[in-house]
Amino acid sequence: MQSKISQVAGLALTIAYAVFIVWIYATEPRSFREVATSAEVASGTYQINQEKFNSALDLFRREQFRAARDEWQRADPAQGDSRTQFYIAYSFYREGWGRVYYDQELFKKGLEAVNRAIALTAASPLTVDDPNLRMHTAAELKAELEQGTESSLSDVNPLKVLRTRK
Amino acid sequence: MTATDRSRNRELVDFVVLPVFFLTVALLGGLRVGAENRAFIFVAPPLVTLLLAVLLVLLLVRGRLIRFQQLVGTEFPPLTNVAHIWMLLTLFFASAQAFNSVLPEGGLLHWLFSFFFLWTLWNNQFSSFDARRLLRSLAILFGTAFVLKHMLLASLYSTEGGWLKRVAGTLLQGVSLGTLDAPTFAPATGYISFFTLTLYVAGLTLLAFAGKDETDGLGHPLVDEYLKLPASHRLAVREAILDDQPQSVATVERLPARPDE
Repeated sequence: MQSKISQVAGLALTIAYAVFIVWIYATEPRSFREVATSAEVASGTYQINQEKFNSALDLFRREQFRAARDEWQRADPAQGDSRTQFYIAYSFYREGWGRVYYDQELFKKGLEAVNRAIALTAASPLTVDDPNLRMHTAAELKAELEQGTESSLSDVNPLKVLRTRK
Repeated sequence: MTATDRSRNRELVDFVVLPVFFLTVALLGGLRVGAENRAFIFVAPPLVTLLLAVLLVLLLVRGRLIRFQQLVGTEFPPLTNVAHIWMLLTLFFASAQAFNSVLPEGGLLHWLFSFFFLWTLWNNQFSSFDARRLLRSLAILFGTAFVLKHMLLASLYSTEGGWLKRVAGTLLQGVSLGTLDAPTFAPATGYISFFTLTLYVAGLTLLAFAGKDETDGLGHPLVDEYLKLPASHRLAVREAILDDQPQSVATVERLPARPDE
């Protein structure tokens, strides 16, 4: 009986350890802090830093997009919050938007961020009720970013300069 | 120490200590620390390390460091078999990661090291080994690879310019080392690798010694096989040996009989 207990306990302990190792190699954390954050995400206890999020939102409203993104990245280091990822994508959109041309690099990064936001809310469509934004859903933002990265005949339309930023 | 204590200790080693040792090796074998930002870098085992691990496990079986008949068999309960197979699996992955720990990450040196490991392990398959010699041989193999990678090569590719880089720079002025290029890591990588290899060799030593009775001191394979025979067969073997040495028969016949006969 004693032998059976030690075998079962040993197996359970070491299998759990092996799962942890596989998880570590799959998530590739870069520091002990990231290990802790990834563990929080995996266990469902992950929460963003609300203070940093608000501070980033303030910077975003003052059109300081890079600084806002830095703050949001610090608020959501695991990139596990759909709302924060939506705002990051929005900041790429606003910074990359130009009356004459769009910054392709920023739009591509924005597309990556909005895709992350959509993936995080696969169950229901993501909607952000912010009166300062003109696009409230991730789908709208994604479509806008995609249009910006695609080349079409409308790119040479001179009336394009009359478009407004959303 | 009573037989019960011995049995409990052996179970603890077989089912907890050895898998934990080997899994820790599997965890740390692929861990590097970036030179610039001190960030963790996890390097999954390259395919060649799995091949090397297969050869190494075969060698451990041939060298009688792993004794399948003592670990897995129809006479054991299913749970014991499963626990032992799990321990052997962890040993396999630890072996792959131990190689990963001492192999350069890329370039020509990665393939040179892999080739030398393959050559050594392949040659050893046809050599006569016992557990003790095999352990010594493996410790030296990993020790040499560690010194080459984490001391000599690390010094050669150090961003701060190690002693070997200065010597090589003087000797090979104008010769490009482009084909031998390798990523640089923080010194902590070497410490992690040293700990990993020490743990691996310690695990192998435990594996060699823990699964044996006190009377079975990693002796000659022939003696081990003899000790496994039933008493009547042992007697027959002894008689056959003594038949070859007629002058010593009288002496041997005067010796007292073994208590188990």
